[in-house]
Amino acid sequence: MSEPLITTDDLSVHFPVRGKTLFGPAPVVRAVEGVSVHIERGSFFGLVGESGSGKTTFGRALLRAAPITRGSATYSDGDVTYDLPSLKDDDLREYRKRAQLIFQDPYAALSPRMTVRDIIAEPLEVMGLTKSRDETDTRVREIAKKCRINLEHLRRFPHAFSGGQRQRISIARALVSEPRFIVADESVAALDVSIQADVLNLLKSIQQDMGLTFLFISHDLSVVAHICDHVAVMYLGRLVETAPTRELFAAPRHPYTKALLSAIPSLDPDDQGNVQKLEGEIPSPTNPPPGCKFQTRCPHAIDICRQEEPKLSHMGFEHDVACHRWEELAE
Amino acid sequence: MTDTANIDVNVDQKLKEAYFTASQGQLIWTRFKKQTAAMVGLGVLALLILSGIFAPFLTPYDPTIAGRNKDYMNGAPNIPSFCDDNGCSLRPFIYSYDRTRSIQTNFRWVTETDTSLEARRYVVFFTQGDKFTFAGINFSTHLFGVDKGKIHIFGTDSTGKDIYSRTLQAINTSLAVGTIGVFIAFVLALMIGGVSGYYGGWIDSVLQMITDAVRTIPTIPLFMALAAFIPETWSAETRFLFISIILGFVGWPTLARRVRTHLLTERNQEYVLAAQLCGARAGHIIRRHLLPSFTSYIIVDLVISFPYMVLSETALSFIGLGLKDPVNSLGVMLQQVTSADVLLNYQWYFIPVFFFITLVLAFVFVGDGLRDAADPYADTKK
Amino acid sequence: MTKPLISVKDLTIRFKTDEGLVTAVEKVSFDIAPGEVLGLVGESGSGKSVTAKALMLLNPDNAVYDSTSSITLNIDDKEIDVLSLAPKDRLIIRGGAVSMIFQEPMASFAPAITIGSHMVEQLLIHSDMNQVEAKELSIEMLARVGIPDPAMRFDQYAFEFSGGMRQRAMIAMALSTKPKLLIADEPTTALDVTIQAQVIDLMKDLVSEYHMAILFITHDLGVIAQTVDKVAVMYLGTLVEKGAVRQVLRKPTHPYTQGLMNALPKLDELDQPLTAIKGDIPSPLDRPTGCVFNTRCPVTLGEECETRVPVYTSTEEGHQVACLLVEKEGASA
Repeated sequence: MSEPLITTDDLSVHFPVRGKTLFGPAPVVRAVEGVSVHIERGSFFGLVGESGSGKTTFGRALLRAAPITRGSATYSDGDVTYDLPSLKDDDLREYRKRAQLIFQDPYAALSPRMTVRDIIAEPLEVMGLTKSRDETDTRVREIAKKCRINLEHLRRFPHAFSGGQRQRISIARALVSEPRFIVADESVAALDVSIQADVLNLLKSIQQDMGLTFLFISHDLSVVAHICDHVAVMYLGRLVETAPTRELFAAPRHPYTKALLSAIPSLDPDDQGNVQKLEGEIPSPTNPPPGCKFQTRCPHAIDICRQEEPKLSHMGFEHDVACHRWEELAE
Repeated sequence: MTDTANIDVNVDQKLKEAYFTASQGQLIWTRFKKQTAAMVGLGVLALLILSGIFAPFLTPYDPTIAGRNKDYMNGAPNIPSFCDDNGCSLRPFIYSYDRTRSIQTNFRWVTETDTSLEARRYVVFFTQGDKFTFAGINFSTHLFGVDKGKIHIFGTDSTGKDIYSRTLQAINTSLAVGTIGVFIAFVLALMIGGVSGYYGGWIDSVLQMITDAVRTIPTIPLFMALAAFIPETWSAETRFLFISIILGFVGWPTLARRVRTHLLTERNQEYVLAAQLCGARAGHIIRRHLLPSFTSYIIVDLVISFPYMVLSETALSFIGLGLKDPVNSLGVMLQQVTSADVLLNYQWYFIPVFFFITLVLAFVFVGDGLRDAADPYADTKK
Repeated sequence: MTKPLISVKDLTIRFKTDEGLVTAVEKVSFDIAPGEVLGLVGESGSGKSVTAKALMLLNPDNAVYDSTSSITLNIDDKEIDVLSLAPKDRLIIRGGAVSMIFQEPMASFAPAITIGSHMVEQLLIHSDMNQVEAKELSIEMLARVGIPDPAMRFDQYAFEFSGGMRQRAMIAMALSTKPKLLIADEPTTALDVTIQAQVIDLMKDLVSEYHMAILFITHDLGVIAQTVDKVAVMYLGTLVEKGAVRQVLRKPTHPYTQGLMNALPKLDELDQPLTAIKGDIPSPLDRPTGCVFNTRCPVTLGEECETRVPVYTSTEEGHQVACLLVEKEGASA
């Protein structure tokens, strides 16, 4: 069993809110609070949650695009090991060669005044990975072919392309520096269903081809179910459940996970959906409820839930839940 | 049948490919071309700028005191004609005139024109005339002149200087003042607005306070103070440079604000984050992402602030706080318009006003057209 | 056989653009009976929003409606030809008998006006209530859609509401004039999935309570399955398949509908690979000739599909498909 690529322990990301109080501690938004996961090498790790869950912030924190307030995060790919919160200067630049991000919005992620070739070549040029223009061109063409981008289109500008094609350009740009770790932040959310399947298949084939590790962030459980090996569920910045995909979907333990799964509208008109439809709204991240963050909407909340935040307990093989009552509710 | 269809497809494909590979500049130009007002403005502007640059060649006489016509002060315009009672001629001509001061009109000039055939003065082209220097070389050929005496198609002013020559030279001066002013304002705006927009935070707050402070300086009192301060010993050229520089120093806040806004928006774009995640440094990001993204807007801002510079200089010169004779600008020429005498008797003094209005309007149309064309990536449905 | 509430026949809409006349919708026909929920499914460029806006004449000025198109509204025993309504008579389709809710509720409420003012203004325009009555009804409606403490919320601004609540407020506003037809344009797309479930439940309750018809526009087939009675599938401005929701979802016949179903990740088929529809959606400027789907169709008949526009064939009662292959199979059967 090899060491995981990414390990986090009690990782937290807090953002200060413009203070309304003159005295006392400055209010913070606990966008990510105490998240401990490990991502295996070569795996496709899914991170799901709704708005305010902190999944995007977590992904960015792993890339050092968001500040890490507390906790530790380690990257270890067999050749080097980095302590992510303390990375600086040269080490940080080295890390950036190995960890990349694919954005959600294909329209905002590409510089509109650069040709496709230049966009894909930029990481090579900035990181100094190639020595000559020819070498850059060769690598750009290689990766473009892998991402199924028509080589004749390399001289075009982004405005010539549709959403799906732009996303492929985005992917090519992330892959050109031959990273080991990719964070895909809602990378298919903005695409039509028929294009989505295409991009997902591409990601899967690239992962197998290049041996990459993916952190796949999404709000769409069905997509995650199809493509990920392991899934973690977040709610209001906290990790509530994590398990291998099949297990999570077959036997979810946390009430939120159960509600999330049952909320997905079924394609069968006669399947009215069972279980809980959640009442109420997601609490505001600036003013979270005490105790377990989910207790305001949980149909099974009891006193202890309102007072104490549950810790992640190890349930079974690779399956962790953060709920006071998971054992009793497992029946 | 299939052949023409294929050709159509090929032409179509070429057009599409051209659109796909068009750079930002090309896209803007294509959109710009579709606007009639803007294209007309551009044409007029080009014409005026060229006339200003080539003014010494295009005008028959030296616009300063040296080239004045002592015999024809406050003279009405001589409009060349082709035909009159004595028959037509291929060459345009004007009439000879004789001026005397007459007792009847209170010692004002009275012009008697001699319309006889022999007294015609023909307009000749590419004649020799007063010397002038252009790009360091001395020339003396002018576009047109007259075989005998002098021709004043816009008339003359009170000292006999040809208004047409002065108008073209004035366009040149006003444009020069505008260019220097805009250039200085632009450099300052880029530096201050750029730093402000890129770094944000407290640097931004401090710089914005300074910008606002400078913007609130009232220009008229400032220039009055400066006008009093300028020593008499300074030459007209030095004065000209001084005024241009001051205009630039006063005009940068508006541009700086725009630069800052553009930068603040652009640096939050996702493609900037993508570049940062590759480890790109600030210099690279500014050069490759931020600057190209707002070059089009800045060019628009520059073109639009040009007429304001020209207007400011004209207004100041008009009230006597700006340029003075012999440095000649539209404002200086308009200074002489302010007496009732002129209004009643020498209306041709107003001809430069039309040039001035045309120049400003041309800039405005081109600037507006550029602004509409400068967002080729945004969808604007009319 | 009751007359349909709204009857759309051969609706064809083109837009005048710099690049010429662009066809957004071509020969779209459907009926909605009173109290029925029709789902309009399509991806980007399918023309579903343009169709919906046509029912309220909300398309921009450069929209050209073909002379053969007709939209007929049957209410109170009157037949109203929507496309030929004079501007002063359009009130009935805008908030009167027909109401609309949009995808982005933040964008639909003016930020400087309270929610209450929005609702009261709408009521004052469409009915002859006075201020007091309008306020009472508005608070009642807010309570009906499940907003807690409605009297306080009445005086709040849009930014003080969360996404789900804004959507409910918009539904409350749309329903306060008791419309016969509610057009919902992607109402749940911007919402979290748990909130989406609540809003869908709410709409289903309201349908039965108010006997209101809904035109539900979305790209999400799961939402369609749970909400509508009939469904129509649109691609590049043409209706390719329509029928009862059970018919279309259980027996998708048009290659595009089949492609959509195959591309969807389904929770109960985790082992199935996701099959994409090859190619990209053509730009409306590049509308294919013949069958609009032929450029991406896996079972295209080649030249025939490029030249002939398919007509509707009935595969079962109420289930129609526009496909040449189905036409041929139907003929030989």
